[in-house]
Amino acid sequence: MAADQLSVIFAALADPTRRAILARLAVGDATVTELAEPFSISLPAISRHLKVLEKAGLISRSRSGQWRSSTLQAAPLGEATAWMEQYRRFWDVSFDRLDAHLRRVQQHRAGQAPSGDGTAP
Amino acid sequence: MREDDKKGDAMSTTTELTISRIFDAPPELVYRAFADADQIGQWFGPVGYTVPFESVTSDAEVGGHQRLVMVNDDDPTDRSTIDMTFTEVVENELLAGHQDVQGIPGTTGTERFHLRLEFHAEPGGKTRLELRQGGFREPLGDGAAEGWESSFTRLDSLLRRSL
Repeated sequence: MAADQLSVIFAALADPTRRAILARLAVGDATVTELAEPFSISLPAISRHLKVLEKAGLISRSRSGQWRSSTLQAAPLGEATAWMEQYRRFWDVSFDRLDAHLRRVQQHRAGQAPSGDGTAP
Repeated sequence: MREDDKKGDAMSTTTELTISRIFDAPPELVYRAFADADQIGQWFGPVGYTVPFESVTSDAEVGGHQRLVMVNDDDPTDRSTIDMTFTEVVENELLAGHQDVQGIPGTTGTERFHLRLEFHAEPGGKTRLELRQGGFREPLGDGAAEGWESSFTRLDSLLRRSL
């Protein structure tokens, strides 16, 4: 995915109302009226948010009868999280080293235990 | 699954990294490996990077800091400075706070992550570590958009480097 498209996705995700809309759509498709319900903002304002989300490819909109409903598109969210994988790799490698470190610490303690017991009364 | 959980999952995929891992050592040992200045530098960071012993300080209490520097073995100018501020500490159970990180390749300035480490005792003297790391600051208002914009700029350059 082009970096420009990622910028559009992250810009779309930067707004708390739009994130709340995505959270609602994760539960199921919804119309503009249904999406506007939890917010104290107008239907046109919700529509503007939906346009931003649609442009980012995060939702698709379809017209069934007179109601236009919105659907969450999960794929771009996956692209947006791909960058986080480098941090996951950072921890995975660190934790492999931590495994080895903990083995050394435990061997060291096991090696010390007999002499410690020997000095006990 | 409850609806609230589904919502949480949908959003956490965009803002949070979560890792769950079992270590073959009891929680008090795993906790100390994170909390002690003389231990964390021995394992923290990618292969090919060293944490100089003298760069590490660690004060694992609320309001305390843990600071360290990671240096690239092949290029000593490639350095990252991590400054963790602890906001929640329960000995052998929990370390949480935020990290201010400078020097991430492809970035300028300081990136702030929140980090939560839970140490859960498991049968057989093992520990289940639950890690949660947030990549971006939460947008708080008008100023936040600018912060996000600069993050995107850095992200763009990171992605270009990796292409």
